[in-house]
Amino acid sequence: MKLQTKLALFHSLSKTAIVILFILLLPLLVSSVVSGYTNHLLEEQKQKVLRNISRNGIDYYLAGDSSYGSYTMLKEEYISLEPSPPSLNLDNIFTSRRLIEGDTLTYRVLSYTFPDHGRKYLLEIGKTLGSINQYTYPLQRVALYVLISLVLITLLVDLIFTRILLRPLSRIIKTKILNRKFPFNEAPIPVNTSTTDFRFLDESLSGLETQVRSAFEKEREFTSNASHELMTPISILQNKLENLMLEEGLNENIQEKINGMMATLDRLKKIVRILLMISRIDNNQFLRSDEVAVQPMLHEIGQELSDQMEARNIHASVKPEPSISLHGVNRELIFQCIFNLWHNAIRHNREGGSIQISGRLLTDGAYVLSIEDTGAGIPASALPHIFDRFRKAGENTGEGYGLGLSIVKSITDYHGIRIDVQSRPGRGSQFSLHFPPDFTS
Amino acid sequence: MKVLIIEDEKSMALEMESFLNKLSYNCELAFNARQAREKMLDQTFSFILLDLGLPDQDGLLVLKEARSCCPDASYIILTARGNVQDRIKGLDLGADDYLPKPFSLPELHARMQAIIRRKAGLKDNAIQIEEFTIDLSKRTVSCSGEEILLSRKEFDLLGFLLLNKNRPLTRFQLSEHIRGDFGGEDYDSNYIDVHIKNIRKKLSVFGSADWLQTLRGVGYKIKA
Repeated sequence: MKLQTKLALFHSLSKTAIVILFILLLPLLVSSVVSGYTNHLLEEQKQKVLRNISRNGIDYYLAGDSSYGSYTMLKEEYISLEPSPPSLNLDNIFTSRRLIEGDTLTYRVLSYTFPDHGRKYLLEIGKTLGSINQYTYPLQRVALYVLISLVLITLLVDLIFTRILLRPLSRIIKTKILNRKFPFNEAPIPVNTSTTDFRFLDESLSGLETQVRSAFEKEREFTSNASHELMTPISILQNKLENLMLEEGLNENIQEKINGMMATLDRLKKIVRILLMISRIDNNQFLRSDEVAVQPMLHEIGQELSDQMEARNIHASVKPEPSISLHGVNRELIFQCIFNLWHNAIRHNREGGSIQISGRLLTDGAYVLSIEDTGAGIPASALPHIFDRFRKAGENTGEGYGLGLSIVKSITDYHGIRIDVQSRPGRGSQFSLHFPPDFTS
Repeated sequence: MKVLIIEDEKSMALEMESFLNKLSYNCELAFNARQAREKMLDQTFSFILLDLGLPDQDGLLVLKEARSCCPDASYIILTARGNVQDRIKGLDLGADDYLPKPFSLPELHARMQAIIRRKAGLKDNAIQIEEFTIDLSKRTVSCSGEEILLSRKEFDLLGFLLLNKNRPLTRFQLSEHIRGDFGGEDYDSNYIDVHIKNIRKKLSVFGSADWLQTLRGVGYKIKA
């Protein structure tokens, strides 16, 4: 899951939890606030009454009667003052039912006994629960609305903010990870951010890229320089051997030995040449701007290899899709690639075997060229390594799937062509080149 | 025929000199651009073999200068650089051929002969070997007026052997001549035998081809 999605999910869930908690607590909260406020109100009224009595005497209320009672029109509030037995001592607030003028109502009642001129009186101030609770419901509703809208606003702000905050991260992922292709030839563009963590990440990635690139360049340079430097001594050695071969009066035995040395030198020369070729491909020294007609090229390669096929009595059948042309390729490299595969199919074939070369145009425009031989095949354990440089597959020493296939791999990688190998040991192997549709359109 | 070898690797230059002298070329050596300039002012050469990697000056600059001072000479660039741009630049500057190092000495000789034939025009260039007449310019083989059809590679091989007649040529030298510097890792050059067998078969219809000899374990030579 993306970090941004996770954060958004977390924010929404935590806010929903807060809202639910608030909804659960709200009635409790409101009722405790309301009852506290009511008690306070009743207490205030009690003080007012007591002040009035102490200022004006108790007759201010009793007006000669033994008791006093008064209530509002809808009996929402009442006050009563009456003598009480001297033993009674009350000062509390409680909820109780009272009968007033034939109506029984539930009141929040403050009862207070106090002495006055040697007699004891009981003061009661009541407020109906109905009038107390009349505001709690709307209050709750308003509180809920306010809370929900606040939560929604903060949620929105959170989402927008995390989005802005994480933007550099997605840019780092896009420019430094997803869209970067080895060997990172363009210089990395720093991602603009004030978040130090992201800047650190970005700089670390750029640093790594630079390291990888310079290591790769060093290796490339080394291969190219080493191969190049090797060519001169190889040249000298070859020419010395050639002159030696021309010496007068050499016996056959010595000539054969010189020939053996030349064979070894020839092998060395070919290895160095192939390494140079691979380093040139890796150095982007080949333009990919040629258009190549497959059929004539296959014909040309077939002509070139006809003597080698004849030498081993191998027959090739070539069936390319007629009139297919490949665009945006390097002719020399594609030639070399198919040549090497074909050559490989000859070398690893059995005497008198056959080679099938067939092209197929797929419905999406991709072109598949496959080269199949009737040789010994490649054991499954060796299949993953056949494109590795200097690794040999198969039991027969001396000859192997050596550097020829690593050139093929370099060429297909360089062009973005996929290469597949299928092998049935004992029956033959098949190499397929998959040219994506943009090569044929 | 005078040849100037401009090559900073002394032992390489000496090997070339020794080989070419035996083929009755007359060689002069220059190990850097300065020496080369002096020799070119002093003498006239038919061939100038030029290494591009000289210690004191870029070989392409030397070529440019030399072309204006000795326009009649034929130039062959010899280099280990071997990249395509150098090849194109060299040929653009008027070099007649380009031979990437390492090259074989018989190949150098064949290239020089090819330039000579090209410059001489389409005159007859027939060589007689017993009852066969081989014309390297017209690329024909005939026997008492009757033409023998050889494939391109068969003729290339025969011509190469003929230019280096009486010298053993190995399968590697022959293979490199008909295939160029490409062909991948081709450790066995036995397909050369197929070509030779075909040449012999075609020739023997008309006469004895015993002059085309097999050197067991080495290669072939034409004995004439």
